[in-house]
Amino acid sequence: MLVCLIFLFQGFHTLSLHADFNESAVDSLLVSSVWLAKETRVDTVGLEVVEVFSPSLDKYTYGQKINTIGEDNLGDFQGLGLSELLQQRTGLFLRQYGPGMLASLTMRGTSAGHNAVFWNGLPINSPSLGQTDFSILPVGAFDEVQLHFGSGGALYGTDAIGGAVHLNSKLKFGQGHSFQTDSNLGSFGRWNQQLQYDFSNDRISSRTRAYRNVAENDFPFRNLSKPGTPIERQEHAAFQQEGFTQDLAFQVKSDHLISSSFWLNQTKREIQPVMGSSTRDMQQDRNMRWVLDYFNFAGNKTWNFKTGWVQDQLTFNGSENNTSQFFLIGDLDWEINPKISSKSGVRYTHVQGRLSTYAAKENRIELYQSTNLHLREDVNVSINLRQFIYDGTLAPFTPSLGAEWKIFAQAQNEIKLHANGARSFKIPTLNDRFWEPGGNRDLLPESSWSGELGFSYLFKKEDLQVNQQLTHYRMWVDNWIIWMPRGSFWSPENIREVQNTGLEYTLDAIYKIGSWGLEIQGNYNWVRAINQTNISENDRSIGMQLPYTPIHKFQSLLGVNRGLLQSYINYHFTGSRFVTSDNISQLPAYALWDWGLRVGEWEVGALKGRLGFQINNVLNTAYEVLRLRAMAGRNYQLNIHIRL
Amino acid sequence: MNRLKQLIGKFGMAFLLLLFISSCMDDTPSIPLGEFEKGVLIMNEGAFGANDGEVFHYDPTSGEIKSSIFESKNGRPFAGLIQDMVAAEGRLFLVANTGKVEVVDRRDFSSMGAVTSGLDISRSLVVANQKMYISDWGAYDANFNSPDSYVAVVENLNGGEVSKKIPVSSRPEGMFVAGDQLLIACTAGQKLDVVPLNTEEKTKSLEVTGRPTLFFEEGGRLYLYARDGENVYFHEINRSLAEITGTITVNLPLSTSNFALTDNGEMLIITSTGWPDYNDAIAMVNISSGQVLNGAIFTGSGFYGIGFHKAREEIYVADNNGFQGNGTVIILDRDGQQQKTFLAGRGPSGFKFN
Repeated sequence: MLVCLIFLFQGFHTLSLHADFNESAVDSLLVSSVWLAKETRVDTVGLEVVEVFSPSLDKYTYGQKINTIGEDNLGDFQGLGLSELLQQRTGLFLRQYGPGMLASLTMRGTSAGHNAVFWNGLPINSPSLGQTDFSILPVGAFDEVQLHFGSGGALYGTDAIGGAVHLNSKLKFGQGHSFQTDSNLGSFGRWNQQLQYDFSNDRISSRTRAYRNVAENDFPFRNLSKPGTPIERQEHAAFQQEGFTQDLAFQVKSDHLISSSFWLNQTKREIQPVMGSSTRDMQQDRNMRWVLDYFNFAGNKTWNFKTGWVQDQLTFNGSENNTSQFFLIGDLDWEINPKISSKSGVRYTHVQGRLSTYAAKENRIELYQSTNLHLREDVNVSINLRQFIYDGTLAPFTPSLGAEWKIFAQAQNEIKLHANGARSFKIPTLNDRFWEPGGNRDLLPESSWSGELGFSYLFKKEDLQVNQQLTHYRMWVDNWIIWMPRGSFWSPENIREVQNTGLEYTLDAIYKIGSWGLEIQGNYNWVRAINQTNISENDRSIGMQLPYTPIHKFQSLLGVNRGLLQSYINYHFTGSRFVTSDNISQLPAYALWDWGLRVGEWEVGALKGRLGFQINNVLNTAYEVLRLRAMAGRNYQLNIHIRL
Repeated sequence: MNRLKQLIGKFGMAFLLLLFISSCMDDTPSIPLGEFEKGVLIMNEGAFGANDGEVFHYDPTSGEIKSSIFESKNGRPFAGLIQDMVAAEGRLFLVANTGKVEVVDRRDFSSMGAVTSGLDISRSLVVANQKMYISDWGAYDANFNSPDSYVAVVENLNGGEVSKKIPVSSRPEGMFVAGDQLLIACTAGQKLDVVPLNTEEKTKSLEVTGRPTLFFEEGGRLYLYARDGENVYFHEINRSLAEITGTITVNLPLSTSNFALTDNGEMLIITSTGWPDYNDAIAMVNISSGQVLNGAIFTGSGFYGIGFHKAREEIYVADNNGFQGNGTVIILDRDGQQQKTFLAGRGPSGFKFN
């Protein structure tokens, strides 16, 4: 019966840009959201549509899968790392080295550096490490998260082999003044505090945020490394983060828009030692990001000139590593006719690295072309092409072809088929090439081919909406870089070839019964990431699942609401993970339950607010995401949001 | 019932007879060897950051391999990187370079205790006067040097607190108890430190050619093994004076500190070419003459430990398989011909032959 109730869904929704240019800049964008993004819910729950700025990073993505997490759903995780949200509320798996510690994302069975991360359109993966630590991206510093599943090399450039993550600021015009405070008080010394001031009129919009997030992280855990495995308090895992953001938008004329965002983020951490070690490592991350956009809307053409600067400083036990990236980007998005739209652009990046063992500079140029073909009312196609050149070296030419076909559409039912084929790549990181000792200047870029096929189904009645999507993908990744012990040091080599196969299923349902509302949301990911190569005669890795890549991950949230009250139960199951590439040992699967209560939005005079209370890991389950890395048991969280 | 009595009677008589015979043969009845007191113990260091060091057991007669014997016996993971494995006083001391020493019963690997605090990067251990002496690099400074190296003293052989830290030269490794003196090989400091056991204070620090790592005995003499890019040095030590009395220089470029002694005055040393080929080999050296008898009796990659089974005249080579998964043990005959391979733990690095 449950299966009968479940239908496939593909959601179109329209991100309405600023009124002056939305008609020409962006038409409909494909977004199927685990969160039922704000615009998708309009028809059923009547939320207000607001004017927002939105970069068109996802415009040319027919045939691909994108989920959006809107600001409504970020509130439960105020001030926590984005890693916590993705781990608890999506089908994605993150390798977490402890609460608040390094967390790297794996998408579609690829490794930590195989996903690109963008902030307001700027790539922010560290050029030296080739990845992002999701634990130090605090929820609250951005307004929207978009998850692009699958190869996006042609759209986004390097790193997007398994997918891409976009963090976006969303400004509004005509809102006047508002002041907002968000607090998150929790177990183990957690206190996240954020202050926000907004001002906007018809032409100017400004948002200023400052935040401070701290946690003692002294949670109890069973210390498996000691005789008798005593319960102890975690030591040396404290977390302290401060940051500031400033977003601005200025409508110069009806056809000229300037917007800019600035983000300063600093995180100091005691690095939680692995069980059995007594290390006292300290890490400090300082990240500065700035972007400036100029838009010119000329009839059916939108010119965008963008510049930006991303500076990262990582200090580990006093050893300082600095990288900076300067960007110049220009593109033309052109609605050639009702059936064809096109975007042509160039991105220049100057990268500098001053690491503890080397210094390096590099220039990168990317040329890209995206085309949407509206072949029929029910068939849309995206073609993307990109050529990336770094340090005079040509990265693999990356094309992608995606299509979406509305097979069946009635008032209550809609079925869509989507398909995509793409090539992606990841250029070797600065560390891969220049680290002393061991850096290998002869490394080739990692490259991949992938294909996916999916169905989506939408069932919609007055009081019921069910969205489902099922996607099957296959991916081949070659020249995968592995660091190998070579004599007295380690050195990277293009060794591995991996074939990935998987299924992704998402479900979102909303049901209203009188004054009651019911929400069900679920994700299931099945991932096979099979190594195709042995690195030596005695290696036993061929045919084996990559380490720390769970074959199964399931997540589900059941929510009930009435009036201002909303309660939910969240469940996520992570299957067993192999510890090593030969699959000889594995960590057991674990399942966690969370419970939460939200109250709001209430109004008292001019004050508006929301309250939230959560119990995470309700059953106090002992678990490890990575072997011997202690995780917290049952813990409590109180969220207070007040707006004036 | 009668039949039962008859059986008991027969077995009773047989038992008494056996008891009589055995008592006539040996006044001190032998205690059967424990499960892990025979065969080969394989030390698997584990991978950095994963703390998955373990000990495997191999029975060369039956070919049976028992994996992860620490966890199997004690119901908890070792949770550390095993740097050294030292047998003394009926115990086996498993020294983790992650700042821990686990003490197990040598017979069955049951835990007898541990030193779980007060250590930083522990490297090796000796027992003297019913105390543990643990060499430790101390915490790294900002440049990953080890200026605060020490030898930690633990008063109880079943573990507990560190009672004292004796400052020594940078990066102490192997140690040797010579009479009432503790000799310490300090690799980075390129020193042979001397600590009298009665005062537990460093009294002497001798310059050493090469980077010293381990002590070994051959033909009744005590040597200190040291090496540099070109040579291996066997520094002969006068035990009572705690002085270096002579040095045998072996011209063996690309040597490592991994070596094993054979049963006839030879040493097997792992060499590694490094960049760009990374070819490893096993060289055979005559200890007394310092002559390289064969620069490569066996070649491969990922060689991480070596041992020589004297009773079986076999060479055991540990291959770390690039730390991508579990390692492999390769058994060679004494001429370097491969006989057998089998699965080891993560990063196999040494052997103990019983």
